[in-house]
Amino acid sequence: MLERFSVRAEDQVLVDHEALRRTVADLFVACGVSDDDATAGADVLVTADLRGVETHGVSNMLRQYIGWFRDGVHKPSPEWTIVHETRGTATIDGDRGLGILQGGPAMQLTIEKARDVGVGTVTMRNSGHLGPIGHFAYQAAEQGMVGMCMTASSLLIVPTFGALPRYGTNPIAFAAPARSQPFMLFDAAMSTVASNKIGLARRVGADMEPGWIAEPDGTPVMEERPAPSGSFSLLPLGGTREQGSHKGYGLGLLVEVMTTLLAGAVPRMVERDTKPRHSFIAYNVAAFTDLDQFKDTMDQMLQTLTETPPAPGHERVLYPGLPEHETEMQRRANGIPLHREVIDWFSGITSELSVAPLVTL
Amino acid sequence: MLERFHVPREQEVRVTDAALRQTITDLFVACGVPTEDAATGAEVLTMTDLRGVETHGVSNMLRAYVDWFRGGQLNPNPKQSIVKETPGTATIDGDRGLGVIQGTAAMQMAIDKARDVGVGVVTMRNSGHLGAVGHFSMQAAQQDMVGICLTAMSVLVLPTFGAVPRLGTNPISIAAPANSEPFLLYDAATSTIAGNKIALARRVRADMEPGWIADPDGTPIMEERPVPEGIMYGLGAYNLLPLGGTREQGSHKGYGLGLMVEVLTTLLAGGIPSMVEEKPPLASHHFAAYNIAAFDDVEHFKDSMDRMLQTLAETPPAPGHERVIYPGLPEAESEVDRRANGIPLHREVIDWFNRTTDELGVSRLETM
Repeated sequence: MLERFSVRAEDQVLVDHEALRRTVADLFVACGVSDDDATAGADVLVTADLRGVETHGVSNMLRQYIGWFRDGVHKPSPEWTIVHETRGTATIDGDRGLGILQGGPAMQLTIEKARDVGVGTVTMRNSGHLGPIGHFAYQAAEQGMVGMCMTASSLLIVPTFGALPRYGTNPIAFAAPARSQPFMLFDAAMSTVASNKIGLARRVGADMEPGWIAEPDGTPVMEERPAPSGSFSLLPLGGTREQGSHKGYGLGLLVEVMTTLLAGAVPRMVERDTKPRHSFIAYNVAAFTDLDQFKDTMDQMLQTLTETPPAPGHERVLYPGLPEHETEMQRRANGIPLHREVIDWFSGITSELSVAPLVTL
Repeated sequence: MLERFHVPREQEVRVTDAALRQTITDLFVACGVPTEDAATGAEVLTMTDLRGVETHGVSNMLRAYVDWFRGGQLNPNPKQSIVKETPGTATIDGDRGLGVIQGTAAMQMAIDKARDVGVGVVTMRNSGHLGAVGHFSMQAAQQDMVGICLTAMSVLVLPTFGAVPRLGTNPISIAAPANSEPFLLYDAATSTIAGNKIALARRVRADMEPGWIADPDGTPIMEERPVPEGIMYGLGAYNLLPLGGTREQGSHKGYGLGLMVEVLTTLLAGGIPSMVEEKPPLASHHFAAYNIAAFDDVEHFKDSMDRMLQTLAETPPAPGHERVIYPGLPEAESEVDRRANGIPLHREVIDWFNRTTDELGVSRLETM
């Protein structure tokens, strides 16, 4: 994450990951979620915060999840149904459950299919926000597979040359295991910047870069300026056509096809009132090649990347998953920094739902 | 494609797709490729030029293919073998064949597996350049599947913050069928710009945009300027930047997507990434087919595709733009135009054809 997005030291309150896990699970249970699901959901969110993925941890989305459960937008204990199934695939109707609670079991089904026929693909419609989707890709990597996860929800991005948003940030997550190196873990929106980053920039008072959002008429904003207070549309990865925004746009559509369309649903740009759709893919490494050799080759590749001579002004070359791993080590030991505003929200909501308050360090 | 990349009108010579197909087939056969394989490869290249994808048609790469066959780096008559197989997957050793020729059968195998278990993934190592990977994704779409095709070859692209190239342009393609609208067909490098675009820019004397390449020390070039005269690709040379260009504008995403392609092609094929061990001109490929009927009613899927593609094409444009397009729409329009009016090739390309056909004792390419 860019430095400007980090919570400033004077605004930080540190919490232990175990304490955070407990409070998040308690809050879910207070909303009617089963103990097991609540624990799994807390693990998804807290792991995101441990890995430094603040945008998708407890700070931005948890308050919405709770609001949705309390308003009946999502069911705390849904009963999903398998609409279509083959040996390698399944299409699931999520029964208006919340994605972060349904993603774990959906990826596990995918992994089992990959164990059977080499590759598995599960799509899900009528579900809720999936949160940090890298978590589910990583779940496959921990079981000797290459994992991929995608989701499509809100309408935020203008297509290249367009003046109206037509699809969501449509992130792609990808994870692959290694032997001694931290696993590769890529998870990114197909917009220049994740929409939660704009909320985060507003909260920490950071400027936006050129190519992040569009003017209301669709023209890319190409200067550095503060985040807008009102509504806005994001630009596809690339920003402008000359710098490749048609690629970000095409990748966003790839995700729309692999999630919404393959889940038997209609894109939100066509019918507004719809729930998020997801796609889970697992490639069983052992079906393609020797797993040990694969992991050794991953190690060699990841080491080659980190040993790449850096360009002037940079300390080192990273790979996706490496900084997240380093942050996790550090935060497991020293605690997770949350913004005071988030702590205030926790105080309010735990007392409102009669749950033990969040213990801070 | 950006306007600047088109062949200037005064430099173009038109040929019919049938004539082009015939000459490519003859050239491949003259290099020792069996007739049927030669025709398959010629179809891939000709379709690519019909779709307007000049960078990956006959103009840039055919001369390299011919040289690789004649120089012995590629095998014109490979005996490929299946290294591993499950109901949904296969890993193939390509025996140094040319990807352009081997891709069709590999994608067909992925499609057959998807018909059986819902999804099929075939990886191939030890194979040559795959050409325009979207062609093979389209092959799946034409059989009511969603097709994805990826490939990784030599190192040309810097990792974010790096000064030495570590990845190929590692393109991603996807195709999905619709009922009445032209199919969705996306095919793009995970660098800001395809490597072949730099060669094309040199040939048509077009400027580069900011964020396309880096100086030899790894610093992104952020102004518009002509393609530098210096050496491209490698340590101390000019190299391509990942999609996004700079970290602030998301180059770490282009870099991550490039690595994703490396894993899904090279690593899953049991190969070694080029950054660890270069084996030019060999590449690794990935062919995936998702059988729509396994996930949803095919007609429902295609209707939803139509509605989505229409919504995109009807999106009000931003100031200064005529319309919003979707990937596959301009390619379909180009194909209709070029089937009727011929394929425009640069004079320089025609000269190469004439020299090579003469040299290999093959009939000359017939122009319109």
